[in-house]
This record gives sequence, C-alpha cells and structure tokens, in this order.
Amino acid sequence: MEIDEIKKLALDLKFALSDDEARDIQNDFSILDKKLALFDKIDTTNVEEMIYPFDVETSFLREDTVGHYLSQDEALANVAKVKQGHVVVPKVVK
Amino acid sequence: MKIQDYLNTDYAQKCREAYNKAKAIQDKTNATITFIDPQKRLNDKLEGRLKGVAIALKDNVSTRDIKTTAASRILDNYIPQYDAHIVDLLNKEGAVIIGKSNMDELAMGGTNLTSYFGLCHNPYDLSRISGGSSGGSAVLVAANVVPCAIGSDTGDSVRKPASYCGVVGVKPSYGRISRYGIIPYASSLDHVGYFTTNVKDAALMLEVLSGRDDRDMTSSYNPVENYSELLNADIQDKKILIFDNVLAAINNSEIVDLFNSLVTALTDKGAIIEHVSFNDDLLRAMLPAYYIIANAEATANHSNLDGILFGHREEGESTDDIMINTRTKGFGPWIKKRFVVGSYALFEENQERLFRKAQKIRRLIVEEVLSKLKDADILLAPAAPGAAPLIAGQTTDELSDESLIADNHMVIANFGGLPSMTVPMGYIDNLPIGVNLTANPFKEQVMFDVALAIEEYTGLGGAVKEVL
Repeated sequence: MEIDEIKKLALDLKFALSDDEARDIQNDFSILDKKLALFDKIDTTNVEEMIYPFDVETSFLREDTVGHYLSQDEALANVAKVKQGHVVVPKVVK
Repeated sequence: MKIQDYLNTDYAQKCREAYNKAKAIQDKTNATITFIDPQKRLNDKLEGRLKGVAIALKDNVSTRDIKTTAASRILDNYIPQYDAHIVDLLNKEGAVIIGKSNMDELAMGGTNLTSYFGLCHNPYDLSRISGGSSGGSAVLVAANVVPCAIGSDTGDSVRKPASYCGVVGVKPSYGRISRYGIIPYASSLDHVGYFTTNVKDAALMLEVLSGRDDRDMTSSYNPVENYSELLNADIQDKKILIFDNVLAAINNSEIVDLFNSLVTALTDKGAIIEHVSFNDDLLRAMLPAYYIIANAEATANHSNLDGILFGHREEGESTDDIMINTRTKGFGPWIKKRFVVGSYALFEENQERLFRKAQKIRRLIVEEVLSKLKDADILLAPAAPGAAPLIAGQTTDELSDESLIADNHMVIANFGGLPSMTVPMGYIDNLPIGVNLTANPFKEQVMFDVALAIEEYTGLGGAVKEVL
C-alpha cells in the first residue's frame, strides 16, 4: 500500500499517522504480504468459516427482576464533560 | 509460594508482605501498574477457598473504583463502575487483590514491550523480557510476590510468559471462565487465564473461576468439576501425542533433549506415547491466520475507545476531531499498526481473500488437530523454541518454521477453544523452559493430571525466583 492510502485508512479508523508511523506500517506490509501468501497453499474449497470455537447454547429467558445495571451517575462517571446528565460534545449545528 | 501457605496462617501479615514486596521489586521488574493497599479489604471478614490469599489481576480486568488501563494511554484515567465476574468470584472466595499488573497495550502483543507504562523484566534475568501480554502477572508469581495472578490469553498470552518466567500458566476451554468485565481483544479467541507456582493451585483456581455467567453469552453451562480434589498423577495408559512439527522446527537441541527426557519419564510412568505430524503448510498459515482474525476483531472491539464516554479525551473542534485526537495520542504505534492490518483485511475487496480465508484455515487447523486428539488425552510440545529473549532483541526470520510453527503453535488452543497449559520442564543456562499440554474441550481434569505427573518428575512445583 502507498503511504497516502495507509494514512487515509488510519483516518477512517479515527486516528492520524505520522510519516514515520505510516512508513513503518508500509515496511511491515512487505513481510506481511509474504506471510499472507502462505494462505495460497491451502485449499479451502467448501470449507465453512470458523467464527467461534464451538457453539454454546445461550438461549434462555431471564427472570423479570432487576439485574446488574449502572445508575446514571455511574454511567457518566468516566465522561470528560457532563452537563445536566448529558455528555457534552462540540455543537454539530453552529 | 503456594496458596496453601496462606491458609491457616496470619494471612493479613502475608498480604501486607505481598503488597510491600510488589512495591519493592517494582524498580527492577516494573510488573505492576496500580498497587492496591490490602488493609481495607483485610478489615472485612474473609471466608472461602481463597481466604486471605493475595492475588494480582492483569490490568484489563475491570475493578470497581480502581483504575483499569489495559496498559494504554487512552484508558489511563479510566475507573470502572463495576467488577468483572471473576472479581466477584475472587471476592466471594476471600481473595485479597494487591495490584493490577503490567501487560502489553490492550493485550495486543507477546512481549510486554508495548505497554504504555514501560516493559516488564524477567525475574530470572532482568535483561530479558517477561513475555506477554500477561507479563506482569507472570512476573509477580515467579518473583514470589503472590501465589496466583490473573491473565488473559488470546494467542498464548498466559502460556508463553509462563514458560519464560518458569511458572504454571493455564488457559482453560473457551467459555469455561466468564469474560464479563475483561477489556476485550478478539472475542472469538479471548480467554481468561491465570498463573500459579504449582499444578494443585492451578486446579483449585479453575474451580473458583469457572461457571456459567449470564452476563457472558459465551460462558459454558458445563458443570465445574472438583479438579483439585480429583487430581491424580497416575497417568498409566493416558495417551499423549508428541507434536513432531514443533520439535522439527526447534533449532535449540538442548530444548529438544530436555523435552525428550521428559517424554521418556512419562513413558516410564505408563503413558502411551504417540508421535503425530500435521500438515506443515497448514501450520505455516496458522500465525498469519491468527494475525488477520485477531486484528480484524480488535479493530471492531476497540472502536468504542474514542474519549467520548470514557477514557483520556483530547479536545477538538468537532466530535470527529475529539475522536481522532484522542485515538491519535491514545494508542501506541504497535496498536495503530494492528488496527490498520485488521481494517485492511475487512475491506470488501480483501474479505474473501484474507479474513474469510483465515477463518476457513482456522477451521481446517482445528479439525486436523481434533481428529488426532479425539482418540488421545494430551497434545504435548515445548511451549517455545527458546528461553525468554533479551530485551535488546534478537534477529528472527519471521518466515522460518521456528517462528511460524515452534514459536506460535499454542494459538491452536485459542482457535479451537481447547484447554491448554504450560508448566516448567527445566532450565537451560539458568533460564526456565516450559512444556505445553493441550487437551480436548472441557477435559481440564486430564490436563491437570498429566501436568501433575510432569511436575512430580521435574520437582519444580512451587519454583520461584527471588528478585531482591
């Protein structure tokens, strides 16, 4: 990948890369591509993807009782800016 | 130090000693991120199977009102408002938490070199790495600070540092221990694990930590066995598979000799030994498949780390700017790299070729291993091709079989959710070397039994290395 592509990808992930960081990632892709080429030797025709190690039955109905929950104060305890019970961010419409 | 050392003694004194010792070795090891004065907890009336036992938690385990950073700058001010399920269980059983241990940032590494709080030093040689990502927990057990410490294991993040630090490291079956309240890395591979100095303690800890938790939908309903009571070192007729691909890929003949001596001892104890080989091409694709799956899952899991609802917010003129500034300053370069790779694998044009292909390779590897293991009890191999590497680093050929297979084979147990553990098998040049045992799903008991037989042979149960 080109440096600009890597930087754009990073911005899509909501972080910026310095030139050095982007170049470092570009260099890593050269060895990563060689590793990923090892995939080509594996015939996966008609093989289903493995998403989880094994299925665990998770279907259940819980009792209609109050369980674990966070109070509003607890939910907001780690928010950098709070006003009247709301999370404060910059205005979207100015 | 063993759990038994705490029971029926002045545990308050021992907990204070553990806390002070963790602090005393900090300059040398950097094993702890947050120290927790045990006095408040010691004022409680403690009861349970871990009554008064000092314990350390990896810093990705949520602890109510206690900072939990996952060794990342982005979370260096994060105070959870709830306890992880395993913290509830440890509290219920009377454990005393004395610290949150160092780790690779967001558990995404195998060296402990990527922690925002600095690297962690190996007690056996301070110029060497602890291994990671659960490095601090391994060090605190190895350095005789606590008899048990919690870690997490997505690739081999408990079992590799256990090998490097000469302690027991356990990663049970997928779903055996609830992950509620553990800061995630890759959800289909993440397991809670732990370190002890001996197999009996390891069996007891699984009894304490296991069980269904409705807050983790992947946690298992399988009954929890009395592993420690049932522990039996008689391995007569137990079938042990020797992982020949790993042995063939190790260049260090001393490790192979150490392992072969162990196999001879197990034969003498009545075990049935069978050598197995798996498809080499499949095994060479194992690490890249892991890298793709783990990073793709991590990219999604960590999209909530943006400084809006929690974490170290960096200001900006828009919400987007806040997120970008927060994440740019909040993540180390190693994490950014992994997120880029994970996202790249999820591009529409790459999904089939990379992400889905990796998931298919995962299935082929698991099916091949289970096809051999279903008629056996244990798959056995050296945990790593060498002792703990020097911090200064050493050149490795990343495309060699030693790197792709011998150094990373333990990821198989994460792919398949298989119980797997590392126990010390001896020393080379005064550095510990571990052996890895992997069993069929939810067959932890036989894994502990064979591990105990190994421990009886090596005589290394309870082995520690004082740093001071």
